[in-house]
Amino acid sequence: MLSKIRNFSIIAHIDHGKSTLADRLLEYTHTISKRDMREQVLDTMELERERGITIKAQAIRMLYKDYILNLIDTPGHVDFSYEVSRSLAACEGALLLVDATQGVEAQTLANANLARQNNLVIIPIINKVDLPAAEPERIIEELKNIFGIDPEEVILASAKEGIGIPEILEAIIQRIPAPKGEVEKPLQALIFDSHYDAFRGVIANLRVVNGKIKAGMQIKMMGAGGEFEVQEVGTLRLGLIPKDELLPGEVGYLVAGVREVKECRVGDTVTDAKQPAHHALPGYKPIKPMVFCGFYPLAGEEFENLKDAVAKLQLNDASLYYEPETSAALGFGLRCGFLGLLHLEIVQERLEREFNLSIIATAPNVIYKVNLRNKTHRLVDNPSLMPPLAEIESVEEPFLKLTVFTPAENVGAVIDLATERRGHFVNMEYLDPKRVMLTFEIPLSEIISEFHDLLKSVTHGYASMDYELIGYRVSDLVKMDILLNQEPVDALSIIVHRDQAYYRGKKLVGKLKEAIPRQQFQIPIQASIGSKVIARENIAALRKNVLQKCYGGDISRKRKLLEKQKVGKKRMKRIGSVDVPQEAFLAVLRLGK
Amino acid sequence: MEPANELRGSIKSRNRDLPAGRHGVQSSVPSFYIHIPFCKKKCNYCDFVSYAGKEELIDEYVNTLIIEIEALTQFFTNDYFSFNVPLPMGEGKRVRALKTIYFGGGTPTLLEPKHFDKIITTIIRHSSFVIRHSEISIESNPATADKEKLKALRKLGINRLSIGAQSFNDQHLQTLGRIHNARDIFRFYADARSAGFKNINLDLIFSLPGQTLAEWKKELQAAIDLKPNHISTYNLQIEENTPLYLRQTANRLQLPGEEEELKMYEYAIETLTSAGFNHYEISNFAKPGFECKHNINYWENGNYIGVGAGAHSHLNGKRWANPNSIEEYLANHERRFTINDSPDSTDQRETLFMGLRLLEGLSIDKFSGFEQEVAELINDGLLERDGDRYKLSKKGLYLGNLVFEKFV
Repeated sequence: MLSKIRNFSIIAHIDHGKSTLADRLLEYTHTISKRDMREQVLDTMELERERGITIKAQAIRMLYKDYILNLIDTPGHVDFSYEVSRSLAACEGALLLVDATQGVEAQTLANANLARQNNLVIIPIINKVDLPAAEPERIIEELKNIFGIDPEEVILASAKEGIGIPEILEAIIQRIPAPKGEVEKPLQALIFDSHYDAFRGVIANLRVVNGKIKAGMQIKMMGAGGEFEVQEVGTLRLGLIPKDELLPGEVGYLVAGVREVKECRVGDTVTDAKQPAHHALPGYKPIKPMVFCGFYPLAGEEFENLKDAVAKLQLNDASLYYEPETSAALGFGLRCGFLGLLHLEIVQERLEREFNLSIIATAPNVIYKVNLRNKTHRLVDNPSLMPPLAEIESVEEPFLKLTVFTPAENVGAVIDLATERRGHFVNMEYLDPKRVMLTFEIPLSEIISEFHDLLKSVTHGYASMDYELIGYRVSDLVKMDILLNQEPVDALSIIVHRDQAYYRGKKLVGKLKEAIPRQQFQIPIQASIGSKVIARENIAALRKNVLQKCYGGDISRKRKLLEKQKVGKKRMKRIGSVDVPQEAFLAVLRLGK
Repeated sequence: MEPANELRGSIKSRNRDLPAGRHGVQSSVPSFYIHIPFCKKKCNYCDFVSYAGKEELIDEYVNTLIIEIEALTQFFTNDYFSFNVPLPMGEGKRVRALKTIYFGGGTPTLLEPKHFDKIITTIIRHSSFVIRHSEISIESNPATADKEKLKALRKLGINRLSIGAQSFNDQHLQTLGRIHNARDIFRFYADARSAGFKNINLDLIFSLPGQTLAEWKKELQAAIDLKPNHISTYNLQIEENTPLYLRQTANRLQLPGEEEELKMYEYAIETLTSAGFNHYEISNFAKPGFECKHNINYWENGNYIGVGAGAHSHLNGKRWANPNSIEEYLANHERRFTINDSPDSTDQRETLFMGLRLLEGLSIDKFSGFEQEVAELINDGLLERDGDRYKLSKKGLYLGNLVFEKFV
């Protein structure tokens, strides 16, 4: 039976047509009838649909001729590159989908390289060839230059118009090898996705490599260590289809009474508890949050609700880290760790949308390694906890290798942007006469605020980027504090490079002045390093605010005006004696270049 | 606003379940408001219920007012309208009558004396509803009545005249889109005095486009020199969808800054107070005994019934309004829009944020349940205690909205 299974995923940049291609494959293989077809079946989460990206990996089984085809979908964002690597590790092949009007993008390159490292067979597909702006010849040349792909192998397609779909299915069964594995060996199955279901506990998606898994069996997670009894296994169609057992090469799901996703995390190996495998499948990595921020409820009494909500999200998100923290300015809150900025934004949005919480998010920061004069070191994930200057020997921060794909005419602007953000130029290569790949080394902290937006803006939306962590490096970093009405506001402290401190301090106090409404007294805003004030602005006092004219018996308009004013106040947090709106905390994020 | 079904139908039939007062006792309705939504021309700052060029509807409108007032008979006979009249010797006597009647606009003085005659006669016909202790006010525009008309109005029993002067500077009057100049005001004032009005108010607006503090001082002095009994003065508010609003959004309006506006207000308070006026409400100043009883009833969150297009009513916490459009009102004068039908939740709040407009403040027991708000406001220096009352501090007077918002 192994010879009739094909496991594959699709590698594509956002908007290059991955979801549409998946829809066509499902339709063509009669996995879903046309009538039941929703647009982009695979993106189920509301947020995913809105943002047009896939956050969680999913899988679906299709039948074509006498073959079983398992499409394993991959998350489409650099924040989730670990999840992508595990999804790819569950496959033998990948469809490399490139938009005929755009070309290969930075992340596509990174994911294709990942696929090659996992020894996947790559089927190159140029999509959207029906569009007037399509340039398939240019893309074929790019694929040749970048990946050394033989032009003969490239399939021209239009997922939207159904062009090339039979060719793609044929290529899947002919070019992608059947999985290998032995049913007699001890069980080894790779978890490539897991999510929490309120009724059944954690449902894990997995790929069996060796051995078999069936209901009633005692299993063990080789990474996390837990043991569970299998309640149900099955295959993934649009829903879950129970099955007696899963054999080598098969892709399916597992229900085993697991209560939290972190007990059964992506990348872990499932084995037989009674007859365990000698070693786990390669590639399992502990969670390593890269970006941190504080979440504080706008209303202090909401803290418990916030904690419960984050805990609920964590049930389903093993990469979300949190612990309680206290801010002198904001009270009780949580310090949360994320894979990246998108991950942070998604969590924040879900807290506000699904749990109806109003929260203040402090500016995101990276984790710093602070070497102290006493020859010890400390990891700092909250700028306000930076040790005093006098105790610090040096500060290290995470650096990235940043890859940018851009039209050749924007090279200068991209180099300016990266170097203004402390990036070091490493390399530049022409992908084709019109497009260039630039490589930089740059601190992660410079990327996490608004780099991607600025990159898009200087290249009119045409550039794409990808990055990987290359390690910690010493930088001349200092903590900048913000004082509101002479009181330091710990939640507004940021770590900046000394050379940029003056500029950023000036900009930040200016932004805060715009964001904080006038109050009954004058409010000085200061930025300081240690005890030295480096920038200052004043918010003038509110002197007159009284509705003088009363409209006879109609008190409703007066009431409306006061209600509006009051609602505005509710969106603010009182720090000391100053009412600070949520937006003020965003000001720290948007300091421009 | 949704029309309130339960308030539709004849007022007569509604009266059987008129809301009772706090302890099941019917409270009285001391005040009656009659809205006259006609104007010769709409002013550039105005967003009241008023319409220019619809004067041909006046007769029909007055007839409809009469019908609406007639329908209130039940109110009159139920002793809703009654108050104690102080007698020279001994106990006060309870009299079934209205304490105040107020003709507001629009421009009430656009109507002819015969119209007022009809309205007032209708009110009187149902009882001795109007007595010489009642305050009967009318708003007026200096360009819409001569001495004869003023005399006729005075003769009908109207005893308080509120003059929409707004400014004594012709340029500012033009900016505001008023149809009169400063001289018209002087003439009108003199005519009113000679017509026998002994209680006259002047409305003045400050913080006008291009206005300086020096100009304001002159205008205020002109008003004081006329020796009115009452002055209402407030800063210009730019309301949405008015001509001034459009000019403001197009950046073609030079309004005085906040500091300047505050100086004008402070100056008015000092000057009027030393001229013998009692500053009794944020924007109102009166010679002793000439405080406007009708408006005080609003600020004390008392009951009132309003008739005419756009008129609002308040009865023991319930609030409703008539349709704003004249045509809609004429077509169905029984149509009502509920504004608030759940009195308990809002009545106290309204009592507080309206009552604090009065400079004497409110007695402490009215603030029960708002101890924390009061403490914060006192701490911020916006509210202060005066005997057994809380009132706005001087700072609170200028930042009143910060106080009021705590109680909405």
